[in-house]
Amino acid sequence: MTLRPGAGSDGNPPPSHLPPYDRSEKTADMVKADFLTGLVLILLSLFVVFESWRMPRLEHLKVHPLSVPGLVPAFLGIVIFVLAVILVVRSVLAGGHRLGLSNEVLRRLRVEPGNRRLLVTAVLTIGYAGFLVGSIPYWLATGLFVFAFIVIFERRRGMTRREYVRLGLVAAILGAATSAVVTWAFQSMFLVTLP
Amino acid sequence: MAAILANLNQFISAIAGFLTPLALFHVSWSTLLGIIIGALPGLTATMGVALVTTLTYKLPPDLAILILICVYNGAIYGGSRSAILLNIPGTPANAATTLDGFPLARAGRAGKAMGIATSGSVLGSLIGMFFLATVAPLLGNYALKFQSFEFFWLAIFGIVISGHLTALEDPMKGWIAGFLGLLVAMVGQEGIHAYERFTYGTTDLLGGFALIPAMVGAFGFAEVMSVMRSPAPEVVQEARDSIIPKLGEVFRYWRTIIRSGLIGTIIGIIPGVGEDIAAWVSYAAARRKSPERDRFGKGSVEGLMAAETGNNACVPGAIIPALTLAIPGSAPAAVLLAAMFIHGVRPGPMVMVESPEFVYQVVAMVFFSTLGMLIYGLTLTKPLLWVLAVPRTRLMPVVFVLCAIGSYAITQRTFDIWVMIGFGIFGYILREMKYPMAPMVLGIIMGDILDKNLRRGLILTDGDLTPFFTRPISLVLWLVTVSSILLSIEPVRRGAQRAAQALRPWRPRAGTETR
Repeated sequence: MTLRPGAGSDGNPPPSHLPPYDRSEKTADMVKADFLTGLVLILLSLFVVFESWRMPRLEHLKVHPLSVPGLVPAFLGIVIFVLAVILVVRSVLAGGHRLGLSNEVLRRLRVEPGNRRLLVTAVLTIGYAGFLVGSIPYWLATGLFVFAFIVIFERRRGMTRREYVRLGLVAAILGAATSAVVTWAFQSMFLVTLP
Repeated sequence: MAAILANLNQFISAIAGFLTPLALFHVSWSTLLGIIIGALPGLTATMGVALVTTLTYKLPPDLAILILICVYNGAIYGGSRSAILLNIPGTPANAATTLDGFPLARAGRAGKAMGIATSGSVLGSLIGMFFLATVAPLLGNYALKFQSFEFFWLAIFGIVISGHLTALEDPMKGWIAGFLGLLVAMVGQEGIHAYERFTYGTTDLLGGFALIPAMVGAFGFAEVMSVMRSPAPEVVQEARDSIIPKLGEVFRYWRTIIRSGLIGTIIGIIPGVGEDIAAWVSYAAARRKSPERDRFGKGSVEGLMAAETGNNACVPGAIIPALTLAIPGSAPAAVLLAAMFIHGVRPGPMVMVESPEFVYQVVAMVFFSTLGMLIYGLTLTKPLLWVLAVPRTRLMPVVFVLCAIGSYAITQRTFDIWVMIGFGIFGYILREMKYPMAPMVLGIIMGDILDKNLRRGLILTDGDLTPFFTRPISLVLWLVTVSSILLSIEPVRRGAQRAAQALRPWRPRAGTETR
């Protein structure tokens, strides 16, 4: 059966080989990522097993010893621990423990346009939903967020003053419209007390 | 015969029940919204259903679920538009559609490709609907035999099979995602002794992580970040030829349609696998059987038909276990299941006893969404092209605003906005590292089922594990689960293949294998 496994949201046809690692540069990064993920998962699973062990056995309630609250989390912690160890061992065998982090690699990651767009998106979205909403009126926070998002991502070097004004106008209209429609819909139609 | 007539009667009553101006109005806007959500790269069916759940929680249950099913079915179909016109699947379910849809569009036959996609999606949806109407009642009655032992294995089976099929390259990542989902479900008050696990005194976590904000984060916020990180999409192909498909051309591929419809439905029934895998498996099966297999990937009408029939047949298929076992067949079905609980509908093994009419109402909902899909599919060409031309820099902030307010609206807690953000970041990182999301979603849903049924089973048997392995359904479930794990180990798989070949009485001729 010719499956195209793991076709993700990027839609690119995935590679047809089945073993987890090949020799491409992208895979080399994945091997390193797996090594780090495996370590994090080992720590997480140990924490879960430890916490499950600490959970009460409820002997004073005379409950059945196999119905204690920590049983299933401990079971899951052990399974994740085993899977994470396999992930780390597999990654180490493929050289994933040699992370090769240098200033040059970090600089390249920092200046890569996709990563910069991601960082700006994360700052704007988390800043809006996590901090702005609830601190200032909802309609104002939403309008400002949409306005800032559009202006920041659509402005280009060398834009004329006229183009700047046009961009600001479009962003302001879209920000105001989004804010007005969403505020009205949730407040008046769905009777939500806005944050 | 009497049973078939009774079922048909219930179905007709359900159809009649929705023939009101209000219900038809909801069908018309929600199917259109679904198609638009699906067509826009970056907005997936899961995200659409999760976001719309937050907009419909004030509506009566039947209308709210009607809207969600229309969005779900419409989005899986709508994704074919961007797959054909942009070479970018609108949802992961349309990834296989790009292989033949885009080459057809590039060859100036975008209209034909869209017409074929519409026919495939409509027919796939109808095939799936037929099985929803016939299999769901049977499975519902059969599920009454399930006890704690079977539900425990069903949870493990779901995670292992879903993890395997959604990450064939590296099943271990699928299993890790699934078990992490189960772990997430452990947070909050447990269902037997009401002990608060992993809450550390936070009252917000008493009920655990709410599924809708978590899904909006993992599928909405994560997608916003993913879209903004990737380079901007390029050319939109125009449709100059007719979008109305020729019936002769459609029914020429009747074998492919029926096969893909069946495959899509079966993949839908398997817990947590979903539409993308249904499309790929249907496509692979069609290529293997087709006399025109050389055309596949270069603009094959049959390939396009197979992919689009398979993914839409999976939609009703995924609803079957959600209705009868309360176990979703796909990620959007998981959100649909959560929405049913929010609206006080209790799917599960008792559904055929307590409210059999609800099953037929759901069949009718799929029917109306299919009808809407057909009408919009054959009429909307230009407006969808305009929608596809909206720059992501203007669309994504609006989507995020809805993610934030949608997460907040259900219980009106700012905490849920943080849940959305947290799951968004977590989901994005997992996705970047090729961990599939579907097993994680399934894990979050199945966590409670696993927890209660393992402990209940152990109490019933006083710690004896034998019934977990010897009861007939449990036996089948654990054997399939263990086989799936063993077959993912390379030397074991090679050994099994060699053994199978040795046992085979005939060998395929050289060159007939189509790997």
